[in-house]
Amino acid sequence: MKIELKSVTKSFSDRNEVLRDITVEEDFGALAIIGPSGSGKSTLLRILGGLILPTSGEVIIDGQRLQFEEKYLIGHRRNVGFVFQAKGLFNHLTGRQNITMPLLHVHGYGKKEADDVADMLLERFGLMNDADKLPAELSGGQQQRIAIARAVATRPKLLLLDEPTSALDPELTNEVLDMIKELRNEGLNIILVTHEMGFAKKACDKIFFLYEGRLLERGSSYEFFSSPKTPQSAAFLSKILEWNV
Amino acid sequence: MALSFCMKRSAMDIRKLFVKKENEKAKPAQVIVNMVLALAAIYLFFMLSLKRLDMKLDFSLLWKFRIRYLQGYKTTVMLSIVSLILSLVIGFISAIGSRSNILPISYISRIYVQFIRGTPMIMQVYLFFYIVGTAWGISNRFLAGVLILSIFEGAYISEIFRGGIESIDGTQLEAAKAIGLEPGQTMRLVILPQIIKRTLPSLAGQFASIIKDSSLLSLISVIELTQTSREVSATNFAVFEVYMFLGLLYLTLTFPISMFTKYMEKRFSYENRT
Repeated sequence: MKIELKSVTKSFSDRNEVLRDITVEEDFGALAIIGPSGSGKSTLLRILGGLILPTSGEVIIDGQRLQFEEKYLIGHRRNVGFVFQAKGLFNHLTGRQNITMPLLHVHGYGKKEADDVADMLLERFGLMNDADKLPAELSGGQQQRIAIARAVATRPKLLLLDEPTSALDPELTNEVLDMIKELRNEGLNIILVTHEMGFAKKACDKIFFLYEGRLLERGSSYEFFSSPKTPQSAAFLSKILEWNV
Repeated sequence: MALSFCMKRSAMDIRKLFVKKENEKAKPAQVIVNMVLALAAIYLFFMLSLKRLDMKLDFSLLWKFRIRYLQGYKTTVMLSIVSLILSLVIGFISAIGSRSNILPISYISRIYVQFIRGTPMIMQVYLFFYIVGTAWGISNRFLAGVLILSIFEGAYISEIFRGGIESIDGTQLEAAKAIGLEPGQTMRLVILPQIIKRTLPSLAGQFASIIKDSSLLSLISVIELTQTSREVSATNFAVFEVYMFLGLLYLTLTFPISMFTKYMEKRFSYENRT
């Protein structure tokens, strides 16, 4: 899939520019957005997902230019999946109901069809035992896997994930990453913001490195990790990999 | 030696009867004994007060007014239920309104809540009934009573709802947006179900307030419980009996509600453990 950004900027009223003049064209299967905290990663992802509007600039995803008006964006949001860092499941609905809700109320499925889709996903990702529990009764890892199942139940071409494992205990991280990898292997296009450098390196073909709102480096993730080109990315990598085994 | 040991032991046993352990629930036996004790103490205090006044109470004087009491009771219940429903509607609209981006709507909602909560109900009863009610031709006292009570309680319910809406995690709303819900669907499918569960204990408590506050409608001669009692006491002059009985009647309504509220609060805190 191809994304194209033209001079995308974003400033919030209470802060300086969060994204500064990002212009890029990239073909990717799995794109990892990495960088220090506060570098604008989540903001960029939310713009791609149509959840917030850029202050200026253009975004073209898969040949479609995003029109920044609510009516169009609702349609865009329906076509992509979005997974949040944590607490993205609806508290008052069980795991299964979380998955069927968008199918029933947004995509016009019947009750039976929606349940079938949910069952298929729950079965496949080993979540059947947790299907009828409320999010508060599930582990963080189970919550995130159900959130991913909800996002892909509508068969989007693009899945966006915002630090899907950073609120998890280390032993739960892998079960979530495995699921993302499996979806990638099936050909789903993925953009994720992550601090999991191992995953970015091994499972993602492309990376964006953001630093203080600028896109400092981009391209093949293999090259990025073997020979970072800017002092900032080299410093970031050495810092984040310092205690790696 | 052995005797003093025995006395010490029995002193400990007595202490155990009245004092529960920290962070533990009182045992059933403790509950019964101490509840009886507490009620007896309160009862004795009132009896003593009456004795000092040299008064004897005769509740049989009330018996012949039983039909009127029944009607008054029914009116209070009806007033409260209809007002509860109407004040839920008013409170919900006002809570949504106060968060609106359309400023006149937001300001009207906020001024309404501030005014109602900041002034005594007795003043509102007179104001609405004699000025607004007369000007707009609302002469049915029951209807006027329901409207006044609902407008009054709606302001409190508005705050309960507003608190509930604000307690919803921001990610819940972002997730609703992300899956492509429209604003109306977000309200119906995400916000409402979450705040109903969360505000139910407070709303039940507010229902008890509605029942008590309905007594002020006696000021405009809605013949509910309090007005009935006033009329009865004007006939038989048994003021103390009448008002004690009145309190008892209100308790028969509010006590079950307060038990229900406690139960809901417990269940709610249990369900929200993480």
